Amino acid sequence: MTEPLLCLKDLSIAYRVGTHDTIAVEGATFDVQPGSIVGLVGESGCGKTTLARSLTRVLASNARIAGGQAVFCGEDIVGLSERAMNGLRWREIAFIPQSAMNSLDPVYTVGSQLAEVLIRRGGMGRRAARTRSEELFEWVGIETNRLGDYPHQFSGGMRQRVAIALALALDPKLIIADEPVTALDVIVQRQILDQLRELRERLGISVILVTHDISVVAYVCDRVVVMYAGRVVETGPMAATLTAPAHPYTMGLRNAFPDLASAAGELTPIEGSPPDLANPPPGCRFAPRCPFVEARCQTDVPVLQSYEGDHLAACHRIAEAETLRKRAMASETWEVPA
Amino acid sequence: MSDALTPVGKSPGRFTRLRRALGSIRLPLHDPLAIIGLAIYAFFIVMAIFAPQIATHDPNEILFTSEFTIAADLRPGVDGYLLGTTTLGRDVFSQIVWGARSALLIGLTAAFMVALIGSVVGVVAGYFGGWVDMILMRLADVAFGIPFLPFVIVLAAFLEPSIWNVVIAMALVLWRDTGRVIRSQTLTLRNRVYVEAARVSGSSDFKIILRHIVPNVLPLSFLYGSIAIGWAILTEASISFLGFGDPDSISWGYMLQDAYASQALSKGSYYWFVPPGILIILIVSAGFFITRGYEQILFPKLDR
Amino acid sequence: MKAITVIGGRLLQTAFVLLAVITILFFMFRLMPGSPLAAYIDPNFTPEQQAELMARFGLDQPLWRQYFIYLGNLLQGDLGESFFYRQPVAERVLALLPNTLILTFSSLILAYVFGVFAGAYLAWKRGSVVEQIGVPLVLTTRAMPEFWLGMLLLAVFSFGMGWFPAGGTRAPGAEYDTMWALYTSADFWWHMTLPVLTLAIYSQGLPLLLMRSNMMDVMREDFVTMARIKGLSTFTVVIRHAARNALLPVMTSFAIAVGYQIQGNVIVETVFSWPGLGRELVRAVQTADYPLAQGAFLMIALVVILMNLVADLLYAALDPRVTHE
Repeated sequence: MTEPLLCLKDLSIAYRVGTHDTIAVEGATFDVQPGSIVGLVGESGCGKTTLARSLTRVLASNARIAGGQAVFCGEDIVGLSERAMNGLRWREIAFIPQSAMNSLDPVYTVGSQLAEVLIRRGGMGRRAARTRSEELFEWVGIETNRLGDYPHQFSGGMRQRVAIALALALDPKLIIADEPVTALDVIVQRQILDQLRELRERLGISVILVTHDISVVAYVCDRVVVMYAGRVVETGPMAATLTAPAHPYTMGLRNAFPDLASAAGELTPIEGSPPDLANPPPGCRFAPRCPFVEARCQTDVPVLQSYEGDHLAACHRIAEAETLRKRAMASETWEVPA
Repeated sequence: MSDALTPVGKSPGRFTRLRRALGSIRLPLHDPLAIIGLAIYAFFIVMAIFAPQIATHDPNEILFTSEFTIAADLRPGVDGYLLGTTTLGRDVFSQIVWGARSALLIGLTAAFMVALIGSVVGVVAGYFGGWVDMILMRLADVAFGIPFLPFVIVLAAFLEPSIWNVVIAMALVLWRDTGRVIRSQTLTLRNRVYVEAARVSGSSDFKIILRHIVPNVLPLSFLYGSIAIGWAILTEASISFLGFGDPDSISWGYMLQDAYASQALSKGSYYWFVPPGILIILIVSAGFFITRGYEQILFPKLDR
Repeated sequence: MKAITVIGGRLLQTAFVLLAVITILFFMFRLMPGSPLAAYIDPNFTPEQQAELMARFGLDQPLWRQYFIYLGNLLQGDLGESFFYRQPVAERVLALLPNTLILTFSSLILAYVFGVFAGAYLAWKRGSVVEQIGVPLVLTTRAMPEFWLGMLLLAVFSFGMGWFPAGGTRAPGAEYDTMWALYTSADFWWHMTLPVLTLAIYSQGLPLLLMRSNMMDVMREDFVTMARIKGLSTFTVVIRHAARNALLPVMTSFAIAVGYQIQGNVIVETVFSWPGLGRELVRAVQTADYPLAQGAFLMIALVVILMNLVADLLYAALDPRVTHE
């Protein structure tokens, strides 16, 4: 196995609200290989966006990295000086936001915003920046004469492409995409996701794709990292993890999403809601909603263990995964007694 | 803008509605600056009410020394005059104390008029729309085109110099800001579902306005009214300073005009012209502080 | 295409407001106590002068006819004769206009430059002691009667320390060949200092608080965070992106501020004996010089209305969302 591009080990992020800390992300551990797309999936509030954003080390004013490591190309970016970190920003680690409308400055043309990054962070001259801008636009499929347009003149999908062009500007090794297609309609979604695939295939860029939509993951990711209530509960190769999940939560997620390709079945939601992170339950955080819960689940915190090779899950009953999977397919399993 | 103030569903009794409307005017007690503002206002209200008791002399009375000369331009502390005397021999301290009355009187009256006219215009224009709206907004445009202070001065040419000139002028011109804002708010409210529902169910316009629009607009009226108090006091001071004010009522602006005309500046009689200015600053600042605190309640913004 | 409709609409609206104000002025001066002729005819005028004015303004005609004659005269720049100066009002008013404008613009430019930087600074220092003291302090400057501040400055720096003159635009007896010579002379600037300072201190509150407020809003916007994620320098993030966006409303408020400032001029000009439109208006009213009062008022209103128009157009021009549809 090659050296991973990014190696997260026990990364924790805390928010200070009033006088106490809320741990938004706890002990996150997973790898990102070079040239791969990793899907970071979970419901809202599970900490996936916080985690992804933290890799740029631009956090909200009351948030901080509370522990752990994030080794990128051999260096732990958690401990880096601000100056060194800034050197990495955009040049090595870029970011595609959820809603490009708000992330583009409305009073500058997209061309000048592209040039700004190329010149100020890429050290290019004006002319070289112009050439590269045109290249980037061609790459993402926007007419180059639109470089002189303002952000509000673009449609949602086009703006997202502009965001991708911006992210690509300095040839980063890693792009963090925060729900890049959530705000778009299905057809445009596919186009953008195809674009991301091309990034990996033609340019060898790794992508961390944050999403709550498991079908997005299925469409484009190589690996999947499933988060719940601030913790990583499962991670593994996409196909294996989604077809044969080892964690009850992932099993439940699978049931909750419609699959257009197969026969229309019933959707079985997971009853209940995620815990309040200010006061998380002891032991496994999924225990209150888990159909397979046992006594030890409520006291002992499960750790990520290997299920099969590099497919890991954090569940005490990991050995019985196959049996539990079968039971999870039946909707009665998920019914909560009245 | 919070519209959690208005009930949906069963119609409450008359007094409940009134109580709710008044209850929407909450005091901004969370903001230390606003509390200081309220304290300052309380101080001035006390000063105004108890002026006869607090003042040491009659503010208009020309005072004499023991040698039977006019007690003119005396420094503070001499002969028991707390803040000295004017060139004409009147007690500065007493004038200051009595000045609170005209300041508050004019401030509150003018502010009330401005808030009232502005709110009525705003609600009517916003609710009825169409040509009513167009006419009223054109009127507002004209009001914006009239330079306020010059207008008051010109009015003073025609009307008797009185404390009410300022109120009239403000009522005629300064309703414009309030009017626009209230209209805006009314437009938003008008499109709310419960208003539509009320209209469909046949409620009269008047009832709808009274029941749904007014309670939600009242806090904003109050806000703009409180801003207007400061402007009224400043304007009155300016008018009096220019000599167009009421010569019979002692206001702080009048004191400043008196001081200026009596060469108090070159004589360095700081005790005469500094206190009125300080008091004006205090009362108008207090208004700003309270307004800001109140604004925080109406339009809560995080980490302000 | 759309720009033309917008501009056209604004121009129409401005014309309407102008007409309305002129009309209001007309009626105000006609309906005053005293004879309706008093608006134009000073009893001290010679009978020939009186007859001439009566004819020029149609003062023996029915009111509605007088109105149109009035408008016609206005378009030709005829505002009547000043009782006091025996000079066409238009001439006098136009001669005074530059003095007022210089005061207004100088003080506003000073106030706005200071306000923008101080406001951005206070936004930067959010939550600190600087802010906690600074904001109430600024509010206090807005609570100050301008003329009182002027009086204070006069008392301390002019009468007290003798650093500055007590009023006027030039040293007594000083002669200047042209207006230009006067305005560029050190004498003029020396006389201008205290009044401009007074107006500037009073006016800086608005741009300061506005800029601070806008900066605080803009700094929270996603594109500012993005700029940080891109690794751009603090200067680029705060100035090129945040401040540039925050500045928009402040610039349009400048135009409106001119309109408000001009009214404030009235008082400051009086305190400093500055020969401008404001002071002239006051004197005209005090001496019952009605044509001059009308003329001065009209000129001030004209500036206010014009600046309102400029503000609207400026906003449209500066916001690319409006110009590039």
